[in-house]
Amino acid sequence: MRAIVIEDDIDIQQQIVERLKTEGFAVDCADNGDEGLFLVREYPADVAIVDLGLPKMSGLEVINRIRDEGNDLPILILTARGRWQDKVEGLDAGADDYLVKPFHHEEMMARIRVLIRRASGWSDSRIVCAPVSLDTATQRTYVDERELELTAYEYKVLEYLMLHAGEVISKTTLTEHLYDDDKDNDSNVIEVFIRRLRQKLDPDEDLKPIETLRGRGYRFTLPRAEGVRDA
Amino acid sequence: MKSIKSRLTLVSMVVLVMFMVLTAIALERAVVKRALQAEEDGLKLLVYSILAAVDRDASGRSVTVSGDRLFEPSLVTRNSGLYAQLFDRAKHELWRSESISVGFPPIERLELGKWRFDIVEHLATPYFRLGFALQWPDIDNRLRHYEVVVWRNAVGYFEQLTRFRQTLWAWLIVTIVLLLIVMYAVMRWSLRPLQAIGLEVKAIEDQQQTGFERNYPAEIAPLTENLNILLKREQYQRQRYRNAMDDLAHSLKTPLAVLTGLADQRSLQTAQLETLREQTERMNQIVSYQLQKATSVSDIRISKPVDLVAIIAKLKSALEKVYQEKGIRLSESLPAQMPLRIDEGDCLEVIGNLLDNAFKYGRERVELRGDTQEDRSFDLVIEDDGPGLEADEIEQILKRGARLDEATEGQGIGLAVVADIVESYNIEVDFGRAAIGGLRVSLRFQAAGAPAA
Repeated sequence: MRAIVIEDDIDIQQQIVERLKTEGFAVDCADNGDEGLFLVREYPADVAIVDLGLPKMSGLEVINRIRDEGNDLPILILTARGRWQDKVEGLDAGADDYLVKPFHHEEMMARIRVLIRRASGWSDSRIVCAPVSLDTATQRTYVDERELELTAYEYKVLEYLMLHAGEVISKTTLTEHLYDDDKDNDSNVIEVFIRRLRQKLDPDEDLKPIETLRGRGYRFTLPRAEGVRDA
Repeated sequence: MKSIKSRLTLVSMVVLVMFMVLTAIALERAVVKRALQAEEDGLKLLVYSILAAVDRDASGRSVTVSGDRLFEPSLVTRNSGLYAQLFDRAKHELWRSESISVGFPPIERLELGKWRFDIVEHLATPYFRLGFALQWPDIDNRLRHYEVVVWRNAVGYFEQLTRFRQTLWAWLIVTIVLLLIVMYAVMRWSLRPLQAIGLEVKAIEDQQQTGFERNYPAEIAPLTENLNILLKREQYQRQRYRNAMDDLAHSLKTPLAVLTGLADQRSLQTAQLETLREQTERMNQIVSYQLQKATSVSDIRISKPVDLVAIIAKLKSALEKVYQEKGIRLSESLPAQMPLRIDEGDCLEVIGNLLDNAFKYGRERVELRGDTQEDRSFDLVIEDDGPGLEADEIEQILKRGARLDEATEGQGIGLAVVADIVESYNIEVDFGRAAIGGLRVSLRFQAAGAPAA
């Protein structure tokens, strides 16, 4: 998952970035509205965390612009102002959720996960494409009742594919959403992860959960247990 | 005597009526005196002309008055209303004018050389009577005593006097009434600025305007201008405190966020971490609470009426976004409009906190009902099917006030803020158990037209 953090207080920004990285996110950050908007335009992200009080361009303005450009990127706003007037303004402008400063990082992560899931049409923290299920809160994976041992990167790839189950996901998209810029994003690495995932998910090769579409990418083929993304 | 207007009206009425009555009395007296004087003068003239026309015999006992020299036709016309008689010392009539049919009695005591003028009644008819006693020497050079008495019928005079009095008083009353009306109008007109001040003060109290807006007469303008300055200064001061409080709280929030973030990192000892977290949480709650209090309570709000229904719609879409995955079913029955005179931010804060609690603690249902009462106030009831609150918990929240440092996470802080705002607007609030199981909060708002007590 790729997150964009727009926050002008460097301490808070770094804490959020650290936390997101610990949770396996690829993170880009900006300390002002202008640069933040630029990041949103340039990088495909899964979620943006936007502080409302930003220099150069206010958080509200950034959100307005993002929405005006037809981008439905999930946005979590951070605000020091806890009044409902401010919350309603932010949500009205197009934000999806808010956090009032100071906040706990667990809470922030929970909200971020909800937003990402929701954007892909999932409402429960358990993503199920029978018989594969993925608990996004605990980051555990099951096939039927059997828990799989996945590495952090394998989990990230599977989570992304399952969130977008039924959609074709290109290798580029996968690398963009899973890796930080500075990481080696050789597309062969993706192929390795896919191969390992197939072995772990489907040792008997009777499920065939991940389909390879030559030249286009991958698709998670098992049917979603709930609503398809309608956005 | 409550109003200046009624005081002034009363005093001026008394003064005016007294003045008018005294004037009338004085005027009447002067007129009567003047008329009597004229009458007396006329009768004196008549006496002189009678004396001039007297002819006596040598003894002086027999007297005649020459009608040719009298020049007074009334004396020779019977019952003309003007009569004259001549008497001697023994009050024997020596002569009577031809106008007399039945004689008049003589005057009992008449001093020599003195005029005696009076009004007497004779046979139920009023007369002016003038008597004069004199002595003339007779042929023997003995002084003989004569008395001339003239009578003039005074009925006409009294009739005229009555008419005069009636006219005088009628005009006086008309004048008094007219003057009173004019005075009342002038008073109303002059006192109108005071009334306007009263209305404007009320409007300022009701937070419909910030100061005195009308133009006042020179006597009052300095007062309203100074009051405006005072109001402005007070508002400015209030704004400054508010901003200072706001700045203080917000500047505290960032370090608090950093501390909270630090506490969330797992490298510290668990016990220290817990303390750090607790203390930051506590600081945060104090800051939040004081900030809410500072920005909401007892603050002059010049508010346009806000529509509660529109506010609810705004909050509803926000909350449905935030609590999307909870799938709360919100059923609402609201009138088309609920206009209230309340600051929009405060209204959002009250309804936002209450609805947020309902969404947070409700399991699957939230109910929202709005009713317009007969006195144009509104009832709003918010119910959820969550765990609700026990009576003692509610009491705890409502009486907490400034002692929020004891507050725990949960419905507490939101409801305490609600209770504070609601109190500052005199909105009636009642917490209880909802029919669907959870918390029921009912609010009674005064309508936009009616002042908030």
